[in-house]
Amino acid sequence: MGILEHRFQDNVIVEKLDKLLSWSRSTSPWFFQFGTACCAIEMMAAAASRHDLMRIGMIPRSSPRQADVMIVAGTVTMKMALRVKKLYEQMADPKYVVAMGSCATSGGPYWQHGYHVLKGVDIVIPVDVYVPGCPPRPEALIEGLLKLQEQILNERPLTRKMA
Amino acid sequence: MNEDQDKLIAELVEKGLAGDMEPINEIEDRVLRSKAKAALVKAKRSAKPQETEDHVKKVSDKSSIDDKSLSENLNENIGEMVNEKFPGSLVNENTETHIQLAPDHWFEIAGWLKSEPSLSFDSLQCQTGIDIGENTLEARYNLHSMKHNHCTEIRISVSINKPVIPSVEQIWRIADWFERETYDMLGIEFSDHRDLRRILLPDDWEGWPLRKDYQVQETYHGIEVPKMKEGWE
Repeated sequence: MGILEHRFQDNVIVEKLDKLLSWSRSTSPWFFQFGTACCAIEMMAAAASRHDLMRIGMIPRSSPRQADVMIVAGTVTMKMALRVKKLYEQMADPKYVVAMGSCATSGGPYWQHGYHVLKGVDIVIPVDVYVPGCPPRPEALIEGLLKLQEQILNERPLTRKMA
Repeated sequence: MNEDQDKLIAELVEKGLAGDMEPINEIEDRVLRSKAKAALVKAKRSAKPQETEDHVKKVSDKSSIDDKSLSENLNENIGEMVNEKFPGSLVNENTETHIQLAPDHWFEIAGWLKSEPSLSFDSLQCQTGIDIGENTLEARYNLHSMKHNHCTEIRISVSINKPVIPSVEQIWRIADWFERETYDMLGIEFSDHRDLRRILLPDDWEGWPLRKDYQVQETYHGIEVPKMKEGWE
């Protein structure tokens, strides 16, 4: 009794399963709701009604088991680095990481004197997209996430990689 | 005629200011009487503001002197009282800006500072530590009394080789986390603290970051701790 029933003629779409999988993945990358510093405020703004990340299929999830994307929003201290690594390891494959803001990409303002700040989260976990800014505007974050979706769309999960 | 009238009015005004209104009321000429009364009102009005200003000035002078003497004497008073009650614990006789104490009886002195009715320092506003060089660490306590609205500063110096100060965490509960932070950053040990752990840095961090001779550790759980970058300033 769906609303689409009897509104279209019977039809067949032929497409590769590979492409279907990557398309479905790219349109709903749920992100892990977790912020380490002030960038998290911009991430919240991006997820809230004005910028509305739900438009591009992104829903915040509170558990690493349910998330596909980890947005590292903010300064990562040495103490936090171990936790970030553990949370990344708890996420299920396929998983992606967005380093948001200059702290997560390179240490930011703590580049020189921050003795306990991790100089870029890519030291402990692999990063797919870097979003510069201190902190980046929600538009910048959304552009980074669209870039990530583009990357996921171009993946072919079932195709064996040629060596 | 006019000059005589002016003289007369001036005399009447003087008498009126002194409180004697009868001569004015006795004047039969209505015009002259009203003139005299108007002059009297004018004289009173011009005299009044001056008087009140003087009064205000006197009051403010008095209060400012009182406040000043209170706040100036407070530290000295506390110093004298401490010297009387706990002889030998006052390190520096000069108590102009702060009170320098020895660490030995700090717990008892702190309890006394809080319970003594004339001081009643019921609030520890800030507790922090400083590495003042020459192998000396210093803990500073800013105390405030809600009851008397006065405040003072206590400083306790210890050697960097044996940095132990009695904890006042059981006297002012707020000191719990203050002392943990001072311990975290400078390594001052607060004896008899019930939960003395690092508060900001991880438990297995090496060294005390706010000491002047701090060496950044090289790795932390396999993660390289970067050295200070050269050539950036």
